Amino acid sequence: MIKFENVTKTYNKKVRAIDDISFQVKGGEIVGFIGPNGSGKTTTMKILTGIIKADVGKVTINKYNIRRDPIKAKQSIGYISDSPDMFLRLKGTEFLDLIGDIYHVPTKKRREKIESMCERFELTDYLSAPIMSYSHGMRQKIMVVAALMHNPPVWILDEPMIGLDPKSAFELKQMMREHAKAGNAVFFSTHVLEVAEKLCDRVIIIKKGHILYDGTLEQLEDQNKNESLEKIFLELTEK
Amino acid sequence: MSIFLKLTMALIKTVEPGSEEKKYKKIFYRIMGFIAVFGIMLPMAFLVGVIIYTLTAPLAEIGSGTNAVELFLHLVSVFSFVFGINVIFTVFYFSGDIENLLPLPLSPYQIIGSKFTAALISESIMEFIVILAAFAGYIIAAGVPFYSWIIALFGMLTLPVIPLVYCGIICMLLMLITGFIKNKDTVNKITGVMTFAAVIIIAFLISGSGGFDTEHLLSAISDPNNSIINTMNFIFPHIGLIVDAMVGNTFINILFYIAVNAAAIALFMLTARLVYFRTVTGINGARQTKHKSFSSVSEKIKRRSAPVSYLKKEFKLLFRTPAYFSNCIIINLIWPVFLYLIYLLQGKTNFLDSFIYNIHNGDEETVLVFLLGVSAVSVLITAANSIASSALTREGKHFAFIKYIPMSYMAQLNVKALVSIIISGAGMILYVAAAAIYLNLGIKLTLCCCLLSLLSVSFVSYFGIFMDSVNPKLIWDDELNALRGNYNIFFNMAIAILLEAATCAGAYLLFKFTNFGALMIIIILFIFIMLLNALSYLLCSIKATKNIDSLSF
Repeated sequence: MIKFENVTKTYNKKVRAIDDISFQVKGGEIVGFIGPNGSGKTTTMKILTGIIKADVGKVTINKYNIRRDPIKAKQSIGYISDSPDMFLRLKGTEFLDLIGDIYHVPTKKRREKIESMCERFELTDYLSAPIMSYSHGMRQKIMVVAALMHNPPVWILDEPMIGLDPKSAFELKQMMREHAKAGNAVFFSTHVLEVAEKLCDRVIIIKKGHILYDGTLEQLEDQNKNESLEKIFLELTEK
Repeated sequence: MSIFLKLTMALIKTVEPGSEEKKYKKIFYRIMGFIAVFGIMLPMAFLVGVIIYTLTAPLAEIGSGTNAVELFLHLVSVFSFVFGINVIFTVFYFSGDIENLLPLPLSPYQIIGSKFTAALISESIMEFIVILAAFAGYIIAAGVPFYSWIIALFGMLTLPVIPLVYCGIICMLLMLITGFIKNKDTVNKITGVMTFAAVIIIAFLISGSGGFDTEHLLSAISDPNNSIINTMNFIFPHIGLIVDAMVGNTFINILFYIAVNAAAIALFMLTARLVYFRTVTGINGARQTKHKSFSSVSEKIKRRSAPVSYLKKEFKLLFRTPAYFSNCIIINLIWPVFLYLIYLLQGKTNFLDSFIYNIHNGDEETVLVFLLGVSAVSVLITAANSIASSALTREGKHFAFIKYIPMSYMAQLNVKALVSIIISGAGMILYVAAAAIYLNLGIKLTLCCCLLSLLSVSFVSYFGIFMDSVNPKLIWDDELNALRGNYNIFFNMAIAILLEAATCAGAYLLFKFTNFGALMIIIILFIFIMLLNALSYLLCSIKATKNIDSLSF
């Protein structure tokens, strides 16, 4: 579903954010993307979604090349950015309707999706209010609903749990599991190792633009017997 | 360095547009800056200087030598005050940094003092060139001593202090006495309506005060006991003092000037100490609204085409964001007031009557001049409302949205251009319709005006979007800051005005010095503006989309 092949990105010809990295996410997989601040996680996410252009390399989403077939590739993605402060002067319904129109979601399906997801996130009562009046967590929730409304085969989520209350975080994790179970791909970045531990089939650890580890958590723990994931992560990234 | 200075410098840096690192963009910006400074700012300043110079010499003979420069500086102060209200409200109460500054161990003096100084510096920079021109015009014409230049320089840097002090005190007192102003939108709406109402009231007061024609204006300026200047000197006492300091009693007048400014700042700081912390807490960004059940909102959820939905989103954001509403929408309504003032200025010369007479009689030159005027006003309105030239800038921190949604960049730019065309074009067509009724233009000429106007609006809209795509100002913490100090808006306006001026001058010269009739010139004009449209559309579809694609944000 996601193919990221030999991608390099340098900012202003000086800072190499990611350096010749490659990975894949298959259908049915939940892959966690872990790394310290400034390691290249957000740059990778942005290249995957077409927000920024890679210097070299190839990115394929749901068989579509993000540079050659950007509209089809983007149609296949549900993306949650790291900032939920978007279109604050629109009401909740207006924002969701805009996203529904952009992703061509039929009216009936849109209403059903919005109702069910908003109920799970306890957001229904706030849909007629401007997003500006929402708390940070509520803004994050409406971004999740908007990103997933068109039921895309590929979810790319940049720090999706930030700002969510425990119930909403639980619901989102459930949704991620349900989505992967249906044969779709879920790729998300996180700083919370426990989330990765409980949720991911596989993790990719990145540092200074290089992939340090790509595999299952079980394999990682087998290689480092009697050590906690936190300690393994710190040892890997502080080398 | 003191905390006050550090904070002031930090605040100034947050308003400044970011510097461009790419070489070709640096060159582009230098060229644009050159065009803006030499094509617009310096000619405008030169015009102000010449007007003051021309008026000062004859006025000096009848003992009213300082009247012209004083009146002009009062006018600048009135503008500083009117536009300063919104700026001060925003920087004191509703800028994004307030939440970060309030928990810090800073006194109200430090917060308010730094914010005031930052606003004063940006105001002084904006006014610098016209104030310099006014002083230069006066100094050269009056032949006052050489040290007047030093006084003028001092005046240039400090003239906006008192208007901004008034704004600051009014803002704080308003926040203190009105319980309902607890969110940004209410304030912005109130100040927007106040500014618009002030312009209308001033226009009608002037028109009703015994005439605004050129003769009355000149006789009022030449009166040594000018009542307007006396009243304005009471409101802005520093203006009279700085001008008097150039004429004589320099030391005493400068002392008084400094004393008046110091007293104003002291009063302002005292108000800040007593009022600021009490009024700044408890402010929020938006009104709370009553919540509705899903069944009541679900009916509104229905499918539309993506461009239509995107267009609705653009309109909603423009109309609901007060800073955009006042700067991009309301500004379109101010033009009739200016046109009315021009109409009043004709006085007894009745040049408009002869113009109307010539139009009715189908005078070719008059019809051509009228059409060129329609095109010029269309360009000016579209460039001045900045709907197009801030279209990408307004996306701000969520600019990435443009890039990750499955909609082509050009489709999005077309919608953004359409918003500008609809709003600017609707305004222009309304004015053309009013002119058609008043001047009895006839169907053909009216349609011709509408079409030419739409073409001119469309050209500036696409060109404005291209200009904004070169280096959109995406980092701002308040919507007003997206528009303030935005070079793209200024450069777009400068280029559009210069291009239009060249087009109008070219068309008129062709008419005057060739055997082409007016009809042929009008056809050439249409073709030329259509070519400009094609060029700006191509710039958008080839360059602007590339610029968006290469933006790493």
